[in-house]
Amino acid sequence: MPNYVHFPLPDVGEGLVEAEILTWHVQPGQEVQVNQIFVEIETSKAAVELPAPYAGVVKELLAEPGQTVEVGSPIIVFDIDPNGPEQSSSDNGGGAKIGEESGGRIQSLVGYGPKTGASKRRARKGTTVVEAPPPAPEPEPEPAVVAGGYVPLAKPPVRKLAKDLGVDLRSLATEGQVITRDDVQRAAAPEPVSAPVVTAGERERRVQVRGVRKATAKAMVDSAFTAPHVTEFMTIDVTPMMELRAKLKTHPQFRDVKLTPLVFAAKAVCLAARRTPDINAVWDEAAGEIVYKSYVHLGIAAATPRGLVVPKVHDADAMSLRELAEAIEALTLKARDGKTTPAEMANGTFTITNIGVFGVDTGTPIINPGESAILALGTIRDMPWVVDGQVVPRKICQLSLSFDHRVVDGQQGSEFLADVGALLADPSIAITY
Amino acid sequence: MAAPVIDPKAPAQAAPTKLTMGKAINMGLRAAMEADPKVIVMGEDVGKMGGVYRITDGLQKDFGEQRVLDTPLSEAGIVGTAVGLAVRGFRPVCEIQFDGFIFPGFDQINSQVAKLHYRTQGKVKVPIVIRVPFGGGVGAVEHHSESPESFFAHMPGIKVVSCSNPVDAYWMIQQAIQSDDPVLFFEPKRRYHEKDEIDTTATPYPLFSSRVVRRGTTATLATYGPLVKTCLEAATAATEDGHDLEVIDLRTLSPLDLDPVFESVRRTGHLVVASEAPSEVSIASEIASRVQQECFYSLEAPVLKVAGFDTPYPPAKVEDDYLPDLDRVLDAVDRSMAW
Repeated sequence: MPNYVHFPLPDVGEGLVEAEILTWHVQPGQEVQVNQIFVEIETSKAAVELPAPYAGVVKELLAEPGQTVEVGSPIIVFDIDPNGPEQSSSDNGGGAKIGEESGGRIQSLVGYGPKTGASKRRARKGTTVVEAPPPAPEPEPEPAVVAGGYVPLAKPPVRKLAKDLGVDLRSLATEGQVITRDDVQRAAAPEPVSAPVVTAGERERRVQVRGVRKATAKAMVDSAFTAPHVTEFMTIDVTPMMELRAKLKTHPQFRDVKLTPLVFAAKAVCLAARRTPDINAVWDEAAGEIVYKSYVHLGIAAATPRGLVVPKVHDADAMSLRELAEAIEALTLKARDGKTTPAEMANGTFTITNIGVFGVDTGTPIINPGESAILALGTIRDMPWVVDGQVVPRKICQLSLSFDHRVVDGQQGSEFLADVGALLADPSIAITY
Repeated sequence: MAAPVIDPKAPAQAAPTKLTMGKAINMGLRAAMEADPKVIVMGEDVGKMGGVYRITDGLQKDFGEQRVLDTPLSEAGIVGTAVGLAVRGFRPVCEIQFDGFIFPGFDQINSQVAKLHYRTQGKVKVPIVIRVPFGGGVGAVEHHSESPESFFAHMPGIKVVSCSNPVDAYWMIQQAIQSDDPVLFFEPKRRYHEKDEIDTTATPYPLFSSRVVRRGTTATLATYGPLVKTCLEAATAATEDGHDLEVIDLRTLSPLDLDPVFESVRRTGHLVVASEAPSEVSIASEIASRVQQECFYSLEAPVLKVAGFDTPYPPAKVEDDYLPDLDRVLDAVDRSMAW
């Protein structure tokens, strides 16, 4: 008994939807071999010859030459087993059998049938389209430990608050604890005098930038990226200064004050500034002017538990050595106690940073904003030094001066540094000023 | 890419056969009928014809007309007959030919199937399975593409499950038949032709339980039936966006098994529920409600629904605009992540 197979018009191009039958090369009743050309069709692209997919006998032609046929519609019926036993026919009477794919759909008794192939994502800018569908779901047996852990617990309004205040809830999360509005507000509060947030077991700690740190950072960035810095260095023999210091310490006038090398440096700066006023001037960008100051408000950089503060000795140029010593000592103590007032830190004209107290030789200091120069005082140590052709041990100190090149040229900066150096190397020079 | 090397002398390997979901259900029915002579299959065209989707193909030939019954075109009659058979100790498996045809049987399901056990104070059991090919995407006329599962999940006294793949389908139909409670068994008809290997010796996953089918960390997709495949495809596509989506196949709609969903949402903070059924007063709505109760402190965004629209199912030519697809799922994920 025969076994009839309907052959639907295939898509011979890419996404063609129809084709015209040009010529049948076979007639009903004719025997065909596999790959025998049985029809010529014309698509919108080209004329194409179709080979027979089966060997057998042509049962019926389902389209006339000249007729346009939709892709997927049957065009011919082959009897592929003219002498065989009867097959259970589950043909739907049309094209492909139920459950078989045809024309991008699975044939069905009812409806067009479900589409075959994976669904694709709509085209988006700058992305490629996903091709392969995921494999059939292969459920995983046990929940794995997933990176990221659990979501911190909080009510939606608290989440909103945290988002608005820039608080990361994960930093406040404690297992099983619901984060409250108070927790978020406390985390966002400015500068509590509390210890930095450290979570036990962490190998990094994060500290909120605030207070002195924040002010220092801003001042340094402002200065470093607006004032073009030039730094010069000078190494000097301060043995005479140290001898003078030792002498003055026993002098009744200086009996109860702390006479540090810093005090001498402060005095030297005040004296030298008188000869090079550019050092004590400031660039006023807004006004387009350079402001020369006839007074020296001398800033003394002090390391304190809260960070770097720079209290000022106001009108330092009008002070005697003893007055300077007293003023610097008072300011330093106050700074270390954290009691420096904002007024005491304002309106400096020049700064000295005594990095020598840390045993450091020199550095490239950054100018305090609102000023034009800063002097770093290195540590004083015994070093070999050539005196009158002989190498002898002397008290040696390095000075470094950074200045704002908008205001101060190399000449003025160098003269100033040389003057300070000369005064420290031989304080008796001061009498010539 | 190098072509795979085939050694002609290698012993012929028994190629693991992949079966369609339709065939898997057929095998599951066959196994249940072999295991228990009280199992009876009944419905429109399920016998001689083997069902419009060939799910019952060959069963009448092998088990006879006594056990595989072609019924008249009356869903009330099919379900009502099944109630009588169940009371007399049989385990009828009814096929409702299409989702949209179930409503003539609605009264029998609601008033008898769901209530008899309670009405008799537990003395009578009604172990009926009602198979319903459901959902769209098959280019069919009206009454052939609906998703009526919420009606039945809302009905106390019956259980509602939905398979999404061949392996689950094979086991779930047998488990449903073994259940002493009546079960509505929703089969996503557009996935009848999805293929997978079935290990008939494996231990089946419990019937009334949800299952994580893809682990992820960014957001959770909860879905069932035809959209499980869609959501898995969406999760694959989302990796381009740097999203690692978790996908949960709910499997059971009544009772809902939401513990896996809660656990997932507590990790991801984001949930999108996808379903073909109209959005309002749906399974998806219930999940949204339960998750906001159980995971309130963990939610980074409201639970979003991707569902059918609140209109009758549209004509086949425009059904692609109605059915939630990969893009709609990913759009919802984007909205959730942007919250």
